[in-house]
Amino acid sequence: MNAKNTDNTKDLSTLRLPLWAGFLLVAMACAVVVLLGLLATTIMERRWEAQRPSMVLKPLDAWETDNAKWGENYPREYETYLKSQDDTTRTLFGGADPRDYLDDDPYQVILFAGYGFSKEYLQARGHFYAVEDVNHTARIKKPYNAATCYTCKSPDVPRMMNKMGVAEFYAANFHDLTGEMNNPIGCLDCHDPQTTALRVSRPALREGFAAMGKDIETAGLQDMRSLACAQCHVEYYFSPNPKNYLTFPWKHGTTAEAMIEYYDEINFHDYMHPISKTPIIKAQHPDYELYLTGVHAYRNVACADCHMPYRSEGGVKFSDHHVQSPLLNIANSCAVCHRWSEEDIKSRVESIQTKVADAMLLSEESLVKAHFDIAAAMQAGISEEKLAPIRKLLRHAQFNWDYISASNGMGFHAPQESMRLIGLADRQAQEVRLQTARLLAGKGISRPPQYPDVSTREKAFHVVTSFIEGSEPKLLAE
Amino acid sequence: MLIRKGWNLVLHLLTLPGLGRFWQVSFYLFVGIAAGLALWIIRISNMPSYLSDSSETCMNCHVMTDAYASWQRGSHGHVTTCNDCHVPHHSALAKYAFKAMDGTRHSAVFTLRREPQVLHLSHKAIPVIQQNCLRCHQGQFEMIRLSDSTQQTCWSCHTNIHGSVQSLSASPTVLRPKLPKAGLEFKSKGDTDHER
Repeated sequence: MNAKNTDNTKDLSTLRLPLWAGFLLVAMACAVVVLLGLLATTIMERRWEAQRPSMVLKPLDAWETDNAKWGENYPREYETYLKSQDDTTRTLFGGADPRDYLDDDPYQVILFAGYGFSKEYLQARGHFYAVEDVNHTARIKKPYNAATCYTCKSPDVPRMMNKMGVAEFYAANFHDLTGEMNNPIGCLDCHDPQTTALRVSRPALREGFAAMGKDIETAGLQDMRSLACAQCHVEYYFSPNPKNYLTFPWKHGTTAEAMIEYYDEINFHDYMHPISKTPIIKAQHPDYELYLTGVHAYRNVACADCHMPYRSEGGVKFSDHHVQSPLLNIANSCAVCHRWSEEDIKSRVESIQTKVADAMLLSEESLVKAHFDIAAAMQAGISEEKLAPIRKLLRHAQFNWDYISASNGMGFHAPQESMRLIGLADRQAQEVRLQTARLLAGKGISRPPQYPDVSTREKAFHVVTSFIEGSEPKLLAE
Repeated sequence: MLIRKGWNLVLHLLTLPGLGRFWQVSFYLFVGIAAGLALWIIRISNMPSYLSDSSETCMNCHVMTDAYASWQRGSHGHVTTCNDCHVPHHSALAKYAFKAMDGTRHSAVFTLRREPQVLHLSHKAIPVIQQNCLRCHQGQFEMIRLSDSTQQTCWSCHTNIHGSVQSLSASPTVLRPKLPKAGLEFKSKGDTDHER
């Protein structure tokens, strides 16, 4: 035994390693050094970035409108902002995919008859496409269109307003400013270039607050995380005096009722409906106003908390600048407070939205019929005097419906308020129908009008055209 | 005898017999660098602190910064450490085994940058924490039938132990606590605002 062992050791003590073993050993030692070095570097980097979240390498000009220049200083924010180039995202009712609302819902062709929205009404793509899309939409008229339509499309707007004057900017021709609008909605729209603090760059919001007797300068950071969005995601109209002056109808408050009161007071309408001859107010997208009536606003959750949620990368915390539907990023937005699975959250939101969508479609049917009922009453020779209060009711009904329909989020910004307004719109539209039926009955007509077929976009558009051209169908024919 | 022989063999092999001077020097150069780096990592990652019960240890890894901030300002900040709730306490062995398992997994996930934005308790962590709730609050639960329940946890209702917002980036930047020192102070010399 012993002898054998000794022999073995002897053999081993004379062992010579081959050259490849040397190569392998050195390579392995080298690999260990590299891996440990990487680990040490990542530990130090994480610590460093946690302590120094941002460093301004290239100070920005006071009117720097090029988002890429900002991106050199704020790479994470810029990188996420660039993701809004993706226009294929889709949720049940939203996303950045430019879905065609008129194909999906031909009733809207009737409701917006005589207005640009009956020709083209697409889901808006992301902020990245703001300038490109406004330059191509059929809703911009040629050769003249109010420059006001550029107000919310580009960080070049505050620059040009500073250069030209605010009223002069609004009064200009859209097409004269096209060459100046080089950058889509971006950094300068919401941030101060020196401090990156949130600020209001659009005068209309400041003036809207002033009209309510409020001072926007006293807003705190959490309020600003909504007000930056409220510069654009609100109801507005172009005041004729000063020319095309962008104005928020907030004098009496931000509810649908307060806006209607204001619009009635100044006798404003966006277009005259060719079927019922009703002066219609087109609601824009009162996202901020609607959100104010919801539970998230009550809990002081800002727009940015859901649409630009914070995220952590390594040691750094930053706000995700890919502004999008929170349903496309449930983990960072909803799940921060709501501790359920992402599937549960998604189905909960979609069930709320589906209820709103269903109710909205029902109210559209009432509104469409109300327009035709008034047209029928006109055809029966009922006086303008008797129709005036009914038209006013229809004007209110359509604004209440549009306040929800035009808002993003299919009512999720404030589900109860959305259902209330849709219910109100439907009740008012049915009231219009009841009153016209009574007027027709007074003329001895008890049969219902023959409603034209508006089941597809083309059919609906054909009906609208016939009313505009004076070749409308006889709705009360036997 | 046998051990001695084995030891001799190891010593023999450590001289890298049969290889040229170049390979021998190269190998030991890299081994030396690796050893230096290992010591450096032990220092900058605050490795010895992982043996302690200090809550600051958890914050070495930035994922836990917000959990630390909300714990510190929450109802339990004055009376407990992270470990009081998050590791088992029925035996020292179970405690360190659990800590080692959790710690290894956490550091691997974070080093590979695979951390989720919202943290959820793992299946192994749930009974441990539930037991730790009972460890202190036993007396208060004697009258409550749910105290033996395995369906519900204490925090099914008491959701605010760490505050109501649970993302990795829940706390505003200004509320984030300073990181524990890790021997890197020389990097921020003269940088009083950010000194660590």
